[in-house]
Amino acid sequence: MMTSLTRRTLLKGSAAAAVGTLAMPAILRAQSAELVIGCAGSHTAWMEEIVVPHMKEVIGADILFEGTKSSVNLEKMSSNRDRPYLSVVQMDDPVMIQAVEEDLLAPMDATSVPNLTDLRDGTVHMDGMWANYVQPWAGVAYNSSMRDGVTSWGDLWAPESKGRVIIPSLQNTEGMWTLFAAAMLGSGKPFSEAQYEIDAAFAKLEELKPNVLTTYSVMSQAFNLLEQGEITMLAGNFSSYTLPRKAEGVPVDLAAPSEGIFAMPSGICLVKGGPNTELAAAYVNEMLGAGLQKEIATFASSVPANTKVDAGDLVPSGVPILSPDWSFVAANRQAWIERFDKLMAV
Amino acid sequence: MTAAPNIIAGTPPTRCGLGFDRIALLAAPGLSFLALFYAIPLALLLFQSLRGPEGGFGIANYVSFFSEPFNIGVLMRTLRVALLTTLLSLIIAYPTAIAMNRARGVWLTVFLVAMVLPMSLGVVVKAFAWSILFRANGALNQIMQAIGLTDGPVRMLFTETALVIGAANVFLPFMVLPIYAVLQQQKASLADAAASLGAGPFFRFFHVALPLTLPGIVAGAAFVFSLSVSMYVIPSLIVGETQQNLPMLIARSFLYLRNEELGSTISAILLIIAIAVVLGSTWLAARLGAKE
Repeated sequence: MMTSLTRRTLLKGSAAAAVGTLAMPAILRAQSAELVIGCAGSHTAWMEEIVVPHMKEVIGADILFEGTKSSVNLEKMSSNRDRPYLSVVQMDDPVMIQAVEEDLLAPMDATSVPNLTDLRDGTVHMDGMWANYVQPWAGVAYNSSMRDGVTSWGDLWAPESKGRVIIPSLQNTEGMWTLFAAAMLGSGKPFSEAQYEIDAAFAKLEELKPNVLTTYSVMSQAFNLLEQGEITMLAGNFSSYTLPRKAEGVPVDLAAPSEGIFAMPSGICLVKGGPNTELAAAYVNEMLGAGLQKEIATFASSVPANTKVDAGDLVPSGVPILSPDWSFVAANRQAWIERFDKLMAV
Repeated sequence: MTAAPNIIAGTPPTRCGLGFDRIALLAAPGLSFLALFYAIPLALLLFQSLRGPEGGFGIANYVSFFSEPFNIGVLMRTLRVALLTTLLSLIIAYPTAIAMNRARGVWLTVFLVAMVLPMSLGVVVKAFAWSILFRANGALNQIMQAIGLTDGPVRMLFTETALVIGAANVFLPFMVLPIYAVLQQQKASLADAAASLGAGPFFRFFHVALPLTLPGIVAGAAFVFSLSVSMYVIPSLIVGETQQNLPMLIARSFLYLRNEELGSTISAILLIIAIAVVLGSTWLAARLGAKE
């Protein structure tokens, strides 16, 4: 059936076009309120529960986050450097150093991110290229129905733990803790010196092989095996993952061995040339603000970076908190990964 | 011998002056897609693998790869696991395909659904399910202890055996369906004819049924071997980082070592294996087809 163009249909069409045109900026505004954040897979719980609703309410942003390993986030930033789609990335310090070397980050300052001025000393790095937000602590996770605790990193090497230990791959930042613990035990030196004794560390790791059921690069499966009692200890795990599971009634706990615990180097940065610059800066500012820091730190049993938030008893006392020379790690990590994979290969 | 019938009855072949069949143009979208998203990236990958550290071209990356015993070990493990997975799949798939061929009505539907439905389930889910079954306190260990096969739990998780079983489970339909398709084309009367000439069951199987199904076996083996040699998620979940295969090495090279030359070289080696499997199976299928 043919429809002739009448004055009425023409007016209808014009009205529709006008409504469409007026509505367009709103659609564009809605699209521009979307932020894509790169973060760690282990962040998923508190990102979903705390950060996503907070950001929607306070800065009006719809948060899409991709939880993966820091090195994968780095690769995404590097591969998309001409047209970045990530606005903000939350990843670990040694990978941040690589990102700075590859010119992938945009510096932050107190103008765009005012809460930077409230952070503890030593948490803002390389002239504002990135900042630590909350820092979980890492020790040895264990199945509390099968062990009473873990007093020393050396317990991982105990003969009764044959085939009952999983350690992280060096592809994961938390893998460094077992390496450094092995360096301390193997060299007999204090951490400040032992962290550079990598040959001693690998020699000691070789002695651990009979106890190692496997090494992981995807932590969730390894943690599941710990929960199910397939293994008794999971080396290098951290408070933001183990302690919320313990609070849910799962028979796991996180031990602080006498030699020391490690501060997870969780950093946040702006991606150079990333979309929605102002909104991205607002996101980082909120992440460093006292309100959100308190919520995340409490949920993830982590140390807040904001001095206005009381850390309380979130970190065990009586054991040293160790933090390695990350520039040394960044410079050697790839060689260590290759060496570790060859050593641990069956 | 008669010419192959035209696929559309009554329609003359639409050939251009130089003998080009315009129907072949129907393949253009598929070929364009493959060229754009498969052939060109692969060519770039090969190019990258031949690039030397100083910018020149050569096989230095390949020499470096093959001079490392760790890499040789990974290559051998990849091929061994793929071969064992293919064999196990064949052992399970062949009788299944025969049963499917004999099945009628609702049973045939049950078989087909049982084959096809698991393919809609994600590989991650299936691999994770196997990792639960293989645990010390998992169902398999409990069954083996209950029937007296073992006295205590046997370590299965993070072993090559577990990987082969898990992979064969995931890839089984790719072996069953080609064999079933070949069996469908066979005349049931062939076995009866052989029997009427005095051939026993074993003779009928090895001299009549099996040779006729070889093209299906070759096709299924090519599918399963190719899939096994390139699997990433299944070994990551079932055997972990201590028993890496070539795809895991590729991921490690690109994502963690950030060594594009090494990643490209391993990818090219994997590609060569895949091409060898495809060409070998095509040649074998053609040979077997000619013998029929």
